[in-house]
Amino acid sequence: MTKRKIIVGFTIVLAFSMLATSCKKWMTLQPQDGITRQEFWQTKEQIQSAVTGSYASLLGDPTGNDKPLSEYLFLWGELRADMITNGLGVTNDELDIINVNTLPTNANTKWASVYRTINYCNTIIDFAPSVINNDKTLTQVQLNAYLAEARALRGLMYFYLVKSFRDVPLKLKATSSDQDLQQIPKTSADTILKVILADLKYADSNAVFSYGNSMVDKGRITKYTVKAMLADVYLWMDNYTDAVDACNFIINSNQFGLIKGDDGWFNTLYFKGNSAESIFEFQYDNQKLNSFFSMLTTNRGRIYASPYVMDQIYTIDYVDDTKKDIRGEGASIRTSDNAIWKYLGVTSNTGRTQDASFAHWFVYRYADILLMKAEALNQIGGRGTEAIQLINTIRNRAGALAATNTNPDPSNKNDMTDYILAERARELSFEGKRWYDVLRNAKRNNYERKDILLNMVSRSAPGARQQSAINKYKNPDAHYFPIYFNELLLNPNLVQNPFYK
Amino acid sequence: MKKLVCYLFLSMLVGFLQPVLAQDAPTTQITLRGKITDKKDKSPIAHVSVAEVDKDGRIVRGVTTDIEGNYALRITNTKHKISFSYIGYKTIEEDLQGKTTFNVQLEIANANSLNEVIVVGGRRTDNGNMSVSDKNLTIASAKIQAKDLEEMGSSSIDQALQGRLAGVDITASSGDPGAGMSIRIRGTSSINAGTNPLIVVDGMPYETAIPSDFNFGTADDQGYAQLLNIAPSDIKEIVVLKDAAATAMWGSRAASGVLLISTKRGIIGKPSLNYTFKGTMSKQPETIPMLNGNQYSNLIPEEVMNRTGTPLNTQNVKEFAYDPNDPYYYNNYGQNTNWIDAITQTGYAQDHNLSITGGGQKARYFASMGYFNQTGTTIGTGLTRINTRINLDYIVSERIKFRTDIAYTFTDNPKGYSPGSTAQEIRNVALNKMPNMSIYEYNEQGILTPNFFSPAANIQGQYPVTYNPVAMANAAKNRVYGNRITPHFNISYEIIPRTLILTGDIQFDINSTKNNTFLPQIATGRPVTETVVNRAYNGDYDGFNVQSKTNLLYTPQLKENHTLTTLVSFQTYDNKTISNQALTSNSASSLLQDPSVPSRTQNQDLNIGAGYAQTRTIGLLWNAQYAYKERYIINAGIRMDASSRFGPANRYGSFPSISTRWRVSSEPFMKSIKQINELSLRASYGQSGNAPRYDYSFYNNYASNGWSYQGQGGVFPSSMELSNLKWEVIHGLNFGVNLIAFKQRVNIDLEVYRNRTKDLLFYGLQIPSFTGYNSVDMNVGMLDNQGWELNIMTTPIKTKDWVVDFNFNISQNQNIIREMSPFYPKQNVTALTANGQYQAFLQINNPFGSIYGYRFQGVYADKAATIATDAKGAPIIGPNGQSVYMRFNYPQTDYVFQPGDAKYEDINKDGSIDYKDVVYLGNSNPKLSGGFGPNITFKGNFKISAFFNFRYGYDVVNGTQMTTTNMYGFNNQSTAVLRRWRNPGDVTDIPRAIWNAGFNWLGSDRYVEDASFLRFRSITARYTFTAKTLKKLKLKSLSTYLTAENLITFTKYTGQDPEVAPRGISGPFTIVTDNSTTPPVSMITFGIATSF
Repeated sequence: MTKRKIIVGFTIVLAFSMLATSCKKWMTLQPQDGITRQEFWQTKEQIQSAVTGSYASLLGDPTGNDKPLSEYLFLWGELRADMITNGLGVTNDELDIINVNTLPTNANTKWASVYRTINYCNTIIDFAPSVINNDKTLTQVQLNAYLAEARALRGLMYFYLVKSFRDVPLKLKATSSDQDLQQIPKTSADTILKVILADLKYADSNAVFSYGNSMVDKGRITKYTVKAMLADVYLWMDNYTDAVDACNFIINSNQFGLIKGDDGWFNTLYFKGNSAESIFEFQYDNQKLNSFFSMLTTNRGRIYASPYVMDQIYTIDYVDDTKKDIRGEGASIRTSDNAIWKYLGVTSNTGRTQDASFAHWFVYRYADILLMKAEALNQIGGRGTEAIQLINTIRNRAGALAATNTNPDPSNKNDMTDYILAERARELSFEGKRWYDVLRNAKRNNYERKDILLNMVSRSAPGARQQSAINKYKNPDAHYFPIYFNELLLNPNLVQNPFYK
Repeated sequence: MKKLVCYLFLSMLVGFLQPVLAQDAPTTQITLRGKITDKKDKSPIAHVSVAEVDKDGRIVRGVTTDIEGNYALRITNTKHKISFSYIGYKTIEEDLQGKTTFNVQLEIANANSLNEVIVVGGRRTDNGNMSVSDKNLTIASAKIQAKDLEEMGSSSIDQALQGRLAGVDITASSGDPGAGMSIRIRGTSSINAGTNPLIVVDGMPYETAIPSDFNFGTADDQGYAQLLNIAPSDIKEIVVLKDAAATAMWGSRAASGVLLISTKRGIIGKPSLNYTFKGTMSKQPETIPMLNGNQYSNLIPEEVMNRTGTPLNTQNVKEFAYDPNDPYYYNNYGQNTNWIDAITQTGYAQDHNLSITGGGQKARYFASMGYFNQTGTTIGTGLTRINTRINLDYIVSERIKFRTDIAYTFTDNPKGYSPGSTAQEIRNVALNKMPNMSIYEYNEQGILTPNFFSPAANIQGQYPVTYNPVAMANAAKNRVYGNRITPHFNISYEIIPRTLILTGDIQFDINSTKNNTFLPQIATGRPVTETVVNRAYNGDYDGFNVQSKTNLLYTPQLKENHTLTTLVSFQTYDNKTISNQALTSNSASSLLQDPSVPSRTQNQDLNIGAGYAQTRTIGLLWNAQYAYKERYIINAGIRMDASSRFGPANRYGSFPSISTRWRVSSEPFMKSIKQINELSLRASYGQSGNAPRYDYSFYNNYASNGWSYQGQGGVFPSSMELSNLKWEVIHGLNFGVNLIAFKQRVNIDLEVYRNRTKDLLFYGLQIPSFTGYNSVDMNVGMLDNQGWELNIMTTPIKTKDWVVDFNFNISQNQNIIREMSPFYPKQNVTALTANGQYQAFLQINNPFGSIYGYRFQGVYADKAATIATDAKGAPIIGPNGQSVYMRFNYPQTDYVFQPGDAKYEDINKDGSIDYKDVVYLGNSNPKLSGGFGPNITFKGNFKISAFFNFRYGYDVVNGTQMTTTNMYGFNNQSTAVLRRWRNPGDVTDIPRAIWNAGFNWLGSDRYVEDASFLRFRSITARYTFTAKTLKKLKLKSLSTYLTAENLITFTKYTGQDPEVAPRGISGPFTIVTDNSTTPPVSMITFGIATSF
């Protein structure tokens, strides 16, 4: 009996000790339908796919819970400006912004989609450099080019934040572990703009000129894209000579030009996309549709063009109806119902179906560069004639009507400012630029031209709200969005933007 | 895993071989002879088994008698015994003692011995690992015999348990067949939803969770909790382990309590065939009265006019044109349709169950087969289930026994198609749908066609907000098919007889679930290019689960008055889930309903996906129970857990427990009190650890984008590495009193408990979005879940003819946050400036469930009424002497209240209604809940039992009232809005209709209602036929019963049902909102149970 007990006891002890050693291995499980960071970052192809992933996040939220970034950019750029009006399907939050009644509870002021892309860029910037130790085929130049893309994209994202919110939290490190979580306060807009410039300058010296494929060149960041971003940032920072230099780099490269304003113009530029005029576009396609179709279509659409756009911005030649600004009817607007046609048309008169709603989102195109240069030249002073020439190039291509030519004195900065701004509205209508253009021109020289903004608001705000809207916009703090209240609840170090306290 | 299984078998093998090796060599060869006769009539008995058995009762050799009753058996060992057994007769066992002839007379066993239960020594409760007699239990538990529930018409055992056990709260997620139930034992000790208790079936855990990454098309995982699909008639009893000392035995998955289910097993005796039948009829009670088409068509233009100031342009909105010259619109939008009635039917269910049980000394069996079929009260819903179970016990010898159980279940559950959110479910859409619309389409000539009238869009919107519910109920498909097989093998070997017992269990669980859905174009009416047209989904989820358990139970024979039981248990768990899903759209016709039909797959909302996840855990447990004189009992244990869901640093946890019982009634000083049969005090403390819900969270995972960018695939970091995540540990403290008095006629259990959860796991904690993430899983704080339960069972009347039992249970439970991480928000994420929102705060040391909002004071009758008044009640005058009118949220929103608007109390008298006017409105924590009911038995064969349940002191937001009276959108409204404010001077409690504007339905006390209730849950009348009748019918037993459920509810609550909707408080910000649009169905069940 005792012998047996010993045998049994021994066997059990043996079995348990065997177990203890194999236990650790048995308990360690790896995911099979994803990849962990430790396994990633081995080859240059992986950097490539991470970079592609950060571009892909521009098209929509990869986790599928949020509106696509492009929709936010459209709403941020247009809702507060004077070129849109609401449809039957408008959401309350959208209506509130249109009515100049933006509260911190307005879901359209969520910045999560921008920071999401920033985090993807940060991840690349943090982890990609280690790949060079693992993959001997990766050269430093290649690596720097990838980093240039990530940093330029990060710069662009922060630029949108600064333009929309002014001071925002600055996060330049990837969030890869819950140990990285912290509650950081806001950083001033000036500091962030410096960071943006540093990112863009790095990208400027390391980005490639071309990826060897003209389509890819429009969808990924090239040196020209970086120059366009730099021009935009310099203009915002009132650094006009550098802005002109950046624009000149693009103009003198002879890689870009305006598409001829013929019958195929709309189809080439807006439906097909990636034309010679384009510099950087978010590349939607038939397997990733944008959200504009349901937002802008006639059937309970949310947003429509304001009647003011056809009446005042493009105008109509009542004498000779063959004369028309090609950017108006059948390009920006379908006049029968004021639908915003840029995202809905195949040609001037045939429309897309929902499954073809893959209009690209334009970030920069050549016409924008020309107008940015004109704006900078006007501000430098004494170069107004050059600016007029640039504007005329744009106007001639589009067949702009005489009624919209105010013939400003090239030396009169204010008149020129108004003229350039009006041309920007015509050329870049509904491309998410209008509000930022107005704000940039209004805030220049310590809000010297606040009247631009106030005039715009008196046009766009509904009658009952006009006075309160004008009063609000007299306060420059109201030109920036509130921080979404949820962010404040989650981060006690964050202080609400001044107007909304 | 291999190693483990190896080990398991190795240790068993050692056990097996041992007696064989130890066997002594045969000494002589003797042949026994004899004749077997019946003791009564002395006739010979054929086929009696005559066997040589060794000292452990193991058969060495055996023969059967011939027709004359004679036998001859060659014996291998003279030390062995000889046994004579025959079904229906008592078994005789004799020592050989050198004799060679045994003539034996067998005696017929009486009926009692046929049903004799093996276990002796009072009722015992098995915690799944060791069985302890009820009177020595040191833990808090509750037991219910399935017999008590079998009259109910419910399809699953969890439905039937509702309200029966103190501290066990079971709520259904909907009244549809196959709907999931959420089970909460003693409320929730975690601040997450989905903390269902661990289910243990016959000693092995039973998986009831589906993997988090599998979305089943549209429904949430609650909708699939039908996984507990053991046929109620197979269940013998259910034990609920409540305190932490009890659940500590089961480790990490048992932190929310344990439900132990024992199935029936074979018993010695002739084969007994049992058949039960249940037939149920269920009916949907009346819903909220809604506007008819005419009333609705008056409301909407008025609503739009109040907003825009101009009449609704019926040129554009032809839905309200009522123009007989346009027969298409006139007919299609000129009806009075009751959409709810159009999708409702009477539900029927039938449940057949056939089982056979029996066995002899060595082998026993229980086999059953069941068929259940139900059609729901909503067209297109139902449930079919076929299940079989075989439980076999084989006793090799007194020392070796094994059992094999195999259960198989097939379910086919047609559910209504759900586009996504609750508001888009068919009953809600039917309730909200324009009543002036026609079900079937009229053509341009005004002639009714058989086609469903499903316009692509109208003023109410388009799919998924609205669709044709009748077409959806009839043509859409959402079926869940389940196939589950669970073989379970158990072997037990007594290394030292009755002292050291080794048992090994291994259970496989193969669970295949398939979900097929189809969304037909004829229901949505959308254009054929869209992906919501003829959208077909096929999802397949397979779970492979292997669990093993090895127990070593040591019960030494100690001196008198001392008993000791020690258990060492080693448990492993390996669960692998594989899922595949495909979603396609735009097949050519609404009849081509499977993704395998060539159709469109490109596009980001159509996709093909697969998932894979694996979880492993190991548990090592030591537990000992010691008793002195049955007076002082102590139980102590420690469990070590390891879970693959943690990173190596936090993977292991050890959780001790201790519990004691002092039987006061056995003390000498209590002997004199004869009325008290039993009085015990119990105390327990235990820890148990809870592992996170998701696998692989300790890695920084990278996933592929769901779409390509310029044809290239992208990768993004999908989750951060959670290296701080650690075990959520529940520290449970429980005090209990058991009192049995007056000759066992009063039985009282009282429990007081506190479960303190430290390092609370919180899933999806929102974090500042500048991190790039919106949420993270984190250990956030400390939560107390405390309360008490009282269970009283009495037998006030017990005479020869009458037995009346009366049972009563009552409990209270609260959740209180004690500590909270700074990452956790201090108030709920809500906009008080928006309609329909309530505020909830995180208040340390205060119970959950408080609701804050505005105070509703009726409706501004006219312009004068909207003048703001100061604290003294005098009108506020502006600087220029003008009247100041009440405003909302001045200066941000600055809305001036108009006549007909809802009036809210201006608490601070500043003339503006804003967050400063928000006050406490109520609390959703029930102060008391419980149930009671009598059982009356007359002459032992006529029995009436009734059951009531109740909740008291319970405030709920009546969300249904909110959405059916807000007159804010184009949804249909209840008839209450007929008394809305329309003209200045109207005095009413319903504000004016105004489309998408105004603040008429802010979160206010208008919708906060006391949902206390008393419900007459069920009544059953059962008649058991007497022995005399049975003899005539040649049956062993026969009984028949009639049950009615959900008969009547006493409540002041104006909503549909005070009980059905809220799943209870799951977090500090839960505002219990009743959005149910349909009350629970009333059911009548008829049943027969017979055996022969």
